[in-house]
Amino acid sequence: MEEDDGAEEQQRFSYRQRLKAAVHYTVGCLCEEVALDKEIQFSKQAIAAISEVTFRQCENFAKDLEMFARHAKRSTINTEDVKLLARRSNSLLKYITEKNEEIAQFNLERKAKKKKKSEDENKNSTEQAEAGVVESEN
Amino acid sequence: MADSGSPDSEPTTRTLLRRVLDTADPSTPRRPRSARAGAQRALLETPSSRRLSSQTKTTARRRSQRIRSIGKLAHVQASGYLEEQTPRTLLKNILLTAPESSIVMPKSVVKPGPAPQVVQPSSRESSRGSLELQLPELEPPTTLAPGLLAPGRRKQRLRLSVFQEGMDKGLPLSQESRGNADASSLTSSLNLTFATPLQPQSVQRPGLARRPPTRRAVDVGAFLQDLRDTSLALAPPGESLTAPVATLPTDTVLEDTQPFSQPLVGRSPSVHHSLPCPSHSGAEDAERAVSHRTRSTGPRLQNNSPGKPAQLLAGKAEVDALAMNFPNTSSSIFGEVGVEPLQDGVGGEAEERTEKSLSMSKVKEAARARGSARAQEPEGHTQVTEAEGSQGAIETKEPEGSSGDCPTSSRRVSPELASSTPEFLQAKRIQGLEPAPPPSTAVLPSEPLEPLSARLPPRARTPGPKACQNPYKTGLSHYAKLFSFYAKMPMEKKALEMVEKCLDKYFQHLCDDLEMFAAHAGRKTVRPEDLELLMRRQGLVTDQVSLHVLVERHLPLEYRQLLIPCAFSGNSVFPAQ
Repeated sequence: MEEDDGAEEQQRFSYRQRLKAAVHYTVGCLCEEVALDKEIQFSKQAIAAISEVTFRQCENFAKDLEMFARHAKRSTINTEDVKLLARRSNSLLKYITEKNEEIAQFNLERKAKKKKKSEDENKNSTEQAEAGVVESEN
Repeated sequence: MADSGSPDSEPTTRTLLRRVLDTADPSTPRRPRSARAGAQRALLETPSSRRLSSQTKTTARRRSQRIRSIGKLAHVQASGYLEEQTPRTLLKNILLTAPESSIVMPKSVVKPGPAPQVVQPSSRESSRGSLELQLPELEPPTTLAPGLLAPGRRKQRLRLSVFQEGMDKGLPLSQESRGNADASSLTSSLNLTFATPLQPQSVQRPGLARRPPTRRAVDVGAFLQDLRDTSLALAPPGESLTAPVATLPTDTVLEDTQPFSQPLVGRSPSVHHSLPCPSHSGAEDAERAVSHRTRSTGPRLQNNSPGKPAQLLAGKAEVDALAMNFPNTSSSIFGEVGVEPLQDGVGGEAEERTEKSLSMSKVKEAARARGSARAQEPEGHTQVTEAEGSQGAIETKEPEGSSGDCPTSSRRVSPELASSTPEFLQAKRIQGLEPAPPPSTAVLPSEPLEPLSARLPPRARTPGPKACQNPYKTGLSHYAKLFSFYAKMPMEKKALEMVEKCLDKYFQHLCDDLEMFAAHAGRKTVRPEDLELLMRRQGLVTDQVSLHVLVERHLPLEYRQLLIPCAFSGNSVFPAQ
């Protein structure tokens, strides 16, 4: 039992390390893009710090999301929870809301598409979807 | 019931009762406390007709009661029967009729003058039916109108014979409710011997005997003088409302039962003051009231007429309003402590602290209005005991200046304290309170700006205008003052302003969050669950430390009872309501 626990913990730990490494890699890629964009260099320590902070913040977000979902008496995390989480930053909230609407619209269109099984209807819906996408993009 | 107890008096039954009466929220339609202010009916040409009418009614009753001091017992009983027999009226009757001095003098003093005793015991006997308690009475004021005594006398005469019989038996007659063991005296009236030094005086008008005149003379004179001084001082500041009236800043806590002189003087100012800034009082009072408790004691009473109203307001605020804490720097100390008791035990505490019974809401308002302006020394002492302070005790949340929303304003929680639910509850109450002030009715539970003004005459000015200008922001000034207190260093004004700004943003943010949490759960009302979520996000509530633990740690017992359902249930847990 203890060995299992130890192994499990070790497994968890290694899993966590892999996650951290993935985050670190992603942060590194993003920083490179920003560096190219702003023509400024990022030191390794800075990237490491950013990735560590990101990782910890993700943990916090997860906990908060779970709390929000439970607060709303749900067992699944919803986009509403995400929006509540992102409310602090106005731009982020706006972005998330737009994306949310886009996805919802896309889902509706897809459903409409599936319901109408005739080809003509499909064509019409695709045209509408495209128009809708264009509109949403605009 | 003008007297609130002599300044030197220690808390006696009388004063305590008085405080109770004054501070307790009047459930009856008429406002007994405001009655005092209404004593100056003539002066009151205030817009609040409602107040006037209630005041006049009560004043009339009071006056008549006071006037008939002698026959008071009989009269009171009669009037008591006429009026609704509520505990309040009974207590009032007791206070009116009971002798002030609760000192039990040696029996030798009691002996003289069977006449006064005759009257008193008879009245006492008769009053027993109506009154449950008989407090010691001081000598009756000599200002009784003889005409009014007539009806009482008739009744007394009947009892005189009975009493005389008792006297003849040689039992030491206790003067009617002289003596401390009044309650016990009920059973053995004849055995108790209460001696008041001034008995001989009471011979003429035993019913009026309240206090030894010697005591009174000094107090009254000084008090009146203070009143006049303050009134003069007040007049120039330009109380438009009080201009016609000889505004005496204060209150009614007049010492004792000298019905004519003081009540007239004291009431008007308080009444008028209430009018000027009803709006201010609302927000500010809520906060102030909570935080301030009347600290001043006897000596202050006389000196600070405005203080009294402030005190009363504070007391009232505490009792009524759950309001908020407004700070006096001195009060800031009490703030934390004070706020908590506000909640349920507020009434009790307020009574104790607010010596002066003038807890009329109107008075408070008046005090508020004036508070800052009046800063005169006598007034300045309105160091209302700010008990209720900001506390995390949530119940009295003051309307914060930050946002007009009730929920936002109501959160005056000290960040350190995790008073989640209580705050919430208070916030709700504050919401209820806030609408009240605008109507400018004297009934603002919260109150008091007074404490600020009370500080010192020169400084009192500044809070006043500020309060008027930005009633919402004044709530924050309380916290800023707390901040400056805990800093233990002198702080620049600008620094305090910055602190206020930060607090403003903080509370706004806090309330926005709470609102969002409530909306997230599909509700329109903020509930304790929302607050718990907030605290969890703040890191105050963790998996190791639950909300209840924080409640137990930081809040007083009364709140715990409210917030933790199982706290007082012992081994049995009742279903949640």
